[in-house]
Amino acid sequence: MSDADEGTLIEEVVGAFRPRDPRSLVPLPAWHDLSPVGREQAYEQSVTMRAIEAALDPNGYSATVRAVLGRIQGA
Amino acid sequence: MSADLDVYLAGIRAGDAQAFGAWLAQAEPSLRRGLRSFARQVDVEAVLQEALLRTWQVVPRFEADGKPNGLIRLAQRIAWNLSVSEVRRAKRHPTTDPELLEAGLDEAQRYEPHLPDPLLRETIAQCREKLPPQPQRALEVRLEGEGGVPDATLAERLGMRKNTFLQNIARARKLLLECLERAGVNLQTELA
Repeated sequence: MSDADEGTLIEEVVGAFRPRDPRSLVPLPAWHDLSPVGREQAYEQSVTMRAIEAALDPNGYSATVRAVLGRIQGA
Repeated sequence: MSADLDVYLAGIRAGDAQAFGAWLAQAEPSLRRGLRSFARQVDVEAVLQEALLRTWQVVPRFEADGKPNGLIRLAQRIAWNLSVSEVRRAKRHPTTDPELLEAGLDEAQRYEPHLPDPLLRETIAQCREKLPPQPQRALEVRLEGEGGVPDATLAERLGMRKNTFLQNIARARKLLLECLERAGVNLQTELA
């Protein structure tokens, strides 16, 4: 896999969108395609991204918080 | 800001999603840090969201032990157990030293309430304004998606291919971090 391909996979995994199945945990397909190093990079960048999102949100909510609240309120 | 996030417990138990949101906003960074040791073996974002949803579901039955941040400790345990189950389910060979895993949990237990400080918020907002149009729009649409919309759909809204959209998001983050550095803020150091 090229660095560019790995880079876009990392970026997708850094995002907070995750499919959900109430019966089991569903990792993002892109996560499965990442190398172990790419998975660590995605984790580290997600820490930064969540902080940026929280700083830009009027309530201090990151996209993870928004996603969880969206599921609770949509349930 | 209270150091004990259990101040939100009564509201959360009563089904107040806003109280849960306030708790989440401060608890999430510590919970995520506590899963660092699993980053090669599980999709931490998926585990974390699932753990937070389960925390919400079980909270009516949760009994505090009298020590601070009981709900955070419950969420940590749920996230930890989910991670271990996921590693076992996938039959992955544990590549992480058990001592390091334990250290990860210990680190998470050194809980610190976290909200972005007002100056940081202002600086990031100023840097966002300086982004070139495409990265700025991509970031805006990602934020509007609130973690509930796949990137392919967000890209379509902008008339971009998914890869182009993702490249623009990466560029937006890189440029934001560089802008913050110029303003004397090293976000990655602050988050370490």
